[in-house]
Amino acid sequence: MAERTLCLWCPDWPVVAARARGDVPAGAPVAVLDRGLVLAASAEARAEAVTIGLRRREAEARCPGLEVIDADPAGDARAFEPVARAIEEITPRLVLDRPGLLAFPTRGPSRYHGGDEALATRVVEVARDAGAPGARAGVADSAFAARLAARQGDGTVVAPGSTAAFLAPWSVGSLGDPDLADLLARLGLRTLGAFAGLPPSAVLARFGSEGLAAHRLACGEEPHPAALTVPPPELVESMELDPPADRVDAAAFAGKALADRLLDRLADHGLACTQVLVEAETEFGEHHARRWRHEGALTAAALAERVRWQLEGWLTAAGGLSGGLTLLRLVPDQVMPAHGRQLGFWGGDAAAADRAARVLARVQGMLGPDAVVTGVSQGGRSPAERLRWVPWGEPREPRPLQPLDPVAGPVAVERPSWPGAIPGPAPARLFDPPLPAELCDAHGRAVVVTARGEASAAPVALRCAALPTGGGRVDGWAGPWAQDVRWWDRRSRARRTYWQVTVGSTACLVCVTRGAAVVEALYD
Amino acid sequence: VAVPLHDPALPRRDAAARAHLEEVARRAAPLVRAGERVLAVGGELGALIPGGGLRRGSVVGVDGGPGAGATSLALRLAASATDAGEWAAFVDPPGTLGGLAAAEAGVSLDRFAVVRGVPRERWAVVVAALLDGVALVVAGVPDGRAGVRPADARRLVARARERGSVLVVQGAWPAEAALRLRAGGGAWSGLGDGAGVLDARELRVEVEGRGVAARVREGAVSAGTRRAG
Repeated sequence: MAERTLCLWCPDWPVVAARARGDVPAGAPVAVLDRGLVLAASAEARAEAVTIGLRRREAEARCPGLEVIDADPAGDARAFEPVARAIEEITPRLVLDRPGLLAFPTRGPSRYHGGDEALATRVVEVARDAGAPGARAGVADSAFAARLAARQGDGTVVAPGSTAAFLAPWSVGSLGDPDLADLLARLGLRTLGAFAGLPPSAVLARFGSEGLAAHRLACGEEPHPAALTVPPPELVESMELDPPADRVDAAAFAGKALADRLLDRLADHGLACTQVLVEAETEFGEHHARRWRHEGALTAAALAERVRWQLEGWLTAAGGLSGGLTLLRLVPDQVMPAHGRQLGFWGGDAAAADRAARVLARVQGMLGPDAVVTGVSQGGRSPAERLRWVPWGEPREPRPLQPLDPVAGPVAVERPSWPGAIPGPAPARLFDPPLPAELCDAHGRAVVVTARGEASAAPVALRCAALPTGGGRVDGWAGPWAQDVRWWDRRSRARRTYWQVTVGSTACLVCVTRGAAVVEALYD
Repeated sequence: VAVPLHDPALPRRDAAARAHLEEVARRAAPLVRAGERVLAVGGELGALIPGGGLRRGSVVGVDGGPGAGATSLALRLAASATDAGEWAAFVDPPGTLGGLAAAEAGVSLDRFAVVRGVPRERWAVVVAALLDGVALVVAGVPDGRAGVRPADARRLVARARERGSVLVVQGAWPAEAALRLRAGGGAWSGLGDGAGVLDARELRVEVEGRGVAARVREGAVSAGTRRAG
């Protein structure tokens, strides 16, 4: 049984923190970007339909005058530290998820303050006084449900035992796994209630251990049953710092090494860690501790990042530590059996992908970002239109937007057919710019196309310098495929016709625009 | 004292014991055998290639005039890497590769990177960098009379062997190659005189190996139509 939990959520914390730092003016529409995608947006920007996951260009197009700033998680953590410290006055059993989101079990504090509602009101008051103006609280029987309760509205308290019923109408998109949500929606399971209705063994068989964790969330339970309540003491990793570290970078460097060692040690025991206690001692004997948790298991990078955030908060926030750090300790607070790495269903090795990513980034450094591309197929009529090249490192697909409203599931995308598309196999070589050529009829005149899309005569000869013998007699041909491209735009409008032509054993795609022929592609 | 007729501790020689021994031997064998260090090439092309695949760490030359089908052959070989869950890269100096043809040759596009606009003087450096982390690199030789310098070519052969990656060179290759494929064109079918659509061709391929596979094999590979599956 999951523990009754209160969740405090500060919507768009990166924006609030940036405004508190004075990076952006108050009242202006603001979007915070992480790797080119919108991570958070202010209320003014949301009013202009700037949503999370949008790309920068589209966000700026939707909202002219949008202030765009880069994400600064360390700064966000620093700004959140006073809020966390204020909540710590209410309960010591505080668990941070990320800056702007924290949770704690309500059993003791709720009784002290006279019920969940009174506690939620008190927590929000404290948070607002400490510098989180838009904070909201929600209480439910699991941390996940409490977060959704906070999202639904401030002070939402789900009665004990009715968490599953509360979760049932939410969209599967709220599980935070877009791939799984997309798959479930296509299977007809659009709500958490429908997903929770499946037997757990069937979910495990079909979706693996990650799917089972999502299923437990949907049922209102904790995602991973705790394997050991108290991890054995030899798993604690600590490091003495001499001389004392009073700068964040020095302390964070030690924290990174500590995080790597801790996860290595846990991996030897076949364990993974979901919640960790970061402890620090100063040269004056002060002792500080803070819990951090993560959806799923903490990776080395995620753990090191959280340790760094916490050190930022302690060392740089006002009223933090009195002196330098002399001891840093990481205590695994909740561990679970590691289920190992799940390989992709169609193969694909994560290590191979890492290696490839490294060298492709290096080649990009040598030749420029646009020199390394991967292809994404899309709709279109000519072979060149049917494939989009995406520079390496940019998202291959725009991230699917997951609606957060109850019931509304992701919309199925279907690919429309393209009348006038060139049939047959795709040519292996596409020339850009195309190669000048001549397509002639029996009398040596250029073959043209009438306004109704009919050929003036049958093509008999094709001449092009790039073909093996400079072209020659046409052995077979098909066409014309007439395309009226961008007819709505006077400037870029073009009427073009395509012909598939074979000369000897060479096949090529010839395009005729305004009487001029070019070889656009070669079937090599 | 009664001696048991069949002491379970004594070595047994029946079939079950032998199967058990073979199982133990298999588990104790070196992790990767030479025969397993191969990227299997499927279809008719795989039947033509000695050993049915590309040995990791080797260099393959693919040649043929414009329109003769050399690019399609190179893409078939690239598909052998992405089929195995590995990555493939295509160095394309003129920037004319049709990505859709790669998809139709069986390459999975999310593990297939194309490097375009490589200046001639950096070609060898880029290919060497790619061999470090990508299981199969198709490298189109830059245009022009100079081609690839023999010293660069030998260095790339050594790099491929050291990293266990396959280098497929499309164009003239002045160094050793474990396998040379030559595309010799072939008549297209499906296209009539003003009727039909381009459909498929029987691509003539010459395969020349080295060592035990030195004799030249010739065969036809159907190209153009979408590969089944």
